Amino acid sequence: MTVAPTPTGAAPAGAPAPAIRATGLVKVFGAIRAVDDVSFDLAPGRIYGLLGPNGSGKTTLIRLLTGMARPTAGRAEVLGTPMPSRPILARIGYMTQADGVYPTLTVGENARFFAAAYGVRDRASVLEALRLVNLDDRLDAVASTLSGGQRRRLSLACALVHRPPVLFLDEPTVGIDPLLRAEFWAHFRDLAAAGATIVVSSHVMDEADRCDELLFIRTGKVTARGSGDEIRARAGTASLEDAFLRLGGAVEATR
Amino acid sequence: MSGHRLFAFFRRVAQEIRRDRRSVALLFVVPIVMTGLVTFIVREGETPVVNAAVVNDAGAAGIGATAVLDAALAEDGGSAEVVADEATARVALEDETVSLVIFLPAGLGTADPGTVTLLTDGLDPSGEATQVAAVQRAMLRAVGTLTGRPLPTIEHTTLYGVPSDDPMAPFAPAILAFLAYFFVYILTGISFLRERVGGTLERLMATPITRGEVVLGYTLGFGLFAALQVGLLLLWSLGTVEVPALGPLPAFSVGLGLANAGNPLLAYLVVVIAALGSVSLGIFVSTFARTELQVVQFIPIVIVPQFLLSGVLFPISSLPEILQPLVWLMPMTYAADGLRQVLIAGADLATPALQLDLLVLTGVALFFAGIAALTIRREVA
Repeated sequence: MTVAPTPTGAAPAGAPAPAIRATGLVKVFGAIRAVDDVSFDLAPGRIYGLLGPNGSGKTTLIRLLTGMARPTAGRAEVLGTPMPSRPILARIGYMTQADGVYPTLTVGENARFFAAAYGVRDRASVLEALRLVNLDDRLDAVASTLSGGQRRRLSLACALVHRPPVLFLDEPTVGIDPLLRAEFWAHFRDLAAAGATIVVSSHVMDEADRCDELLFIRTGKVTARGSGDEIRARAGTASLEDAFLRLGGAVEATR
Repeated sequence: MSGHRLFAFFRRVAQEIRRDRRSVALLFVVPIVMTGLVTFIVREGETPVVNAAVVNDAGAAGIGATAVLDAALAEDGGSAEVVADEATARVALEDETVSLVIFLPAGLGTADPGTVTLLTDGLDPSGEATQVAAVQRAMLRAVGTLTGRPLPTIEHTTLYGVPSDDPMAPFAPAILAFLAYFFVYILTGISFLRERVGGTLERLMATPITRGEVVLGYTLGFGLFAALQVGLLLLWSLGTVEVPALGPLPAFSVGLGLANAGNPLLAYLVVVIAALGSVSLGIFVSTFARTELQVVQFIPIVIVPQFLLSGVLFPISSLPEILQPLVWLMPMTYAADGLRQVLIAGADLATPALQLDLLVLTGVALFFAGIAALTIRREVA
């Protein structure tokens, strides 16, 4: 795995155009700088982990990148298009922290509805998304009767119905069992292998090693970037957890 | 605007409502029960005492009819007495020694019975209407027993003002409009609130759907159910299906049989447009609510004033002067007036007053739809 440990800044010359680019992103809520001068390029076909404690600005950063919120300063680009942009939303999948499915609709109805919202007409891609999360045999089950894990899988399927080349997953594995978590990561790996750029936010360290690259977020800043091994090596710790504790607090470590 | 997306949205909203049995009950059963109850209270609430003067042009048949009528009215403490001539009767009515004058036509009891005219002074429309209704029932019974001949038509005229023989008539249009408006508001408000707090709105905003499509999709989805609800409500209110006696069951009628002077389709149009405005109002109000309870808490603010100030219960003319300007700010005023125009005055599309009502209701619906679209927050319009 040859990952350039560039913490921030533009991609090296000759690299493919970044799928996602942040340039000096700032989001201020009153006195709080939720996202504080964040810049990075994320390459296509890779899985990026946004790691940080609760309230560190992960969700706000994702909302800026998806165009759900407008930055106070700076610029977010997805697939070369400055955000916010409505048309580009058809090429972005976004799985929110809340399940965000309609409880009275069936599995199939939920997936078909979001497919239509994304402008997808063929049923094949809907079925494919449901097959991916092993819900294709529960098409007629009403969402409110699903287990928590099944509802989470449906939520993921609804973010995949339009086969998006860019996928944002906000804490996708919160509250699901290890078996399902492993399944989810297998899906993410398959999607990345097919060329999708995936940004996963998490505060669970044992997931971090499954990402190609990690971005540590602390008080709205990216405090470290690199693969799990690189980060462990730089921090001189045996576990990511310790590395996180050491690097997370020290912004200077990456400067 | 994409038709495919819009239709998907419409279908989803409709599916959601259909799955929710409480909502379906709220839409279809409660308004029926409520109109039935109100009609029952207004029509049957009091047994009027009728003291009638009879001007008899029907000779012996008239005297016989008066006797039967007198017996029937006496059950409730009233009476019916033949007087010398019309002038005497009118004086008695003006003196309030009688509450009602009955003119029996010459043809009573023959094959061509003519028209029985009931005269009241017109000063207390709802009170008189119950009297007229009581006399009508007694009258038809009396003439029926007496002759077995074709029944006469019965007409109500007043010394002053316009006659009404149904105590429900002045209330019905406003109550119909109000019920449709109210239930659509509750359902849309709560449904959209769930969309906001359940995370599905956030998720929808991450798709290329436009805010206009969201509002229009909701309007179409709830509009479908509002259209069905209003149709059922009007059928129930205006229709009368007589069910004949069967074995031990007495004859009864289904439907409130409210008078309708105009085109029922026009009445339908008025209520549906009002209900569509209510969809947008619900979306708009859901912005300010965090829970279902809070949507309900907004009822005193957005619904009760409309109920009090649009002539649903209290005639607009009887409201205090200081409240009068508010009347014209209430969308419900135009819905109630439009429905009165159609049901009571028989207005058609060429009637300026009805045109104004429809115009204002459409404008209000569009205005709130625009406002509702703006309350759906997204950085990308």
